[in-house]
Amino acid sequence: MIGNDIVDLALSQIESNWKRKGFIDKIFTVQEQSAINSSENQEIMIWNLWSRKEAAYKIYNRQTGIRNYNPIQFECSDLDLEIGKVVFDNKVFFTKTEITSDYIYTESVVKIIDFDKIKTIARPENIQKEEGIPYYFDVLDLVNKPLSITHHGRFERIISI
Amino acid sequence: MTKSETLEKLKSIVKPFVKNEEAFQNITEETDFINDLQINSANLVDIVLDTEEAFDIEIDNASMEKMLTIKAALEIINTKLTEK
Repeated sequence: MIGNDIVDLALSQIESNWKRKGFIDKIFTVQEQSAINSSENQEIMIWNLWSRKEAAYKIYNRQTGIRNYNPIQFECSDLDLEIGKVVFDNKVFFTKTEITSDYIYTESVVKIIDFDKIKTIARPENIQKEEGIPYYFDVLDLVNKPLSITHHGRFERIISI
Repeated sequence: MTKSETLEKLKSIVKPFVKNEEAFQNITEETDFINDLQINSANLVDIVLDTEEAFDIEIDNASMEKMLTIKAALEIINTKLTEK
């Protein structure tokens, strides 16, 4: 199981006003809010946490078929480590996050060993969807492989495993 | 407030965040904010906050969790208005 999420920081500046009243309270837990408050760049920390939550949510959505809008319930921890954690309902998702001045990108897995198996690929021609979950037929291995696709503003990342 | 008045007010809240204008023109109760209107998921919280302001209600986490479609939003608004 894999999930990914990218935030185009130029677009998020235009699209979202995270300073508005209620925004942070509705999305981030008390612990996350203290991480935001104590960070040098609050905006970066907000989208850093957001992309972790979204990437983990994608796995949860694939596992269960359930769709919810409950980012506050996906709690991020181990923010300073190479491998972070997102916990929802006693389920643990592991994350790796890349932060640049242009974007923030997170990949999430259920088993840490899967980080090494993730491949970033060009958009395959034969993307299909089953119950909303994308996959493609790998012509070399002759099997269907799951995909996770994220697109925001100038950036797109497609990963497979 | 009639159902159509509520819908019109909700549509005006949603409109600024819509990425698929055609889906917005053909809006129905079944319309999905993310899949159909292609609203960025980070903007759903803006829709929740704007709905709270416009209808003077509070949308708790359990309600927000379900707010993925026009239908769900209308139901939440109605429930919260009745509770007032």
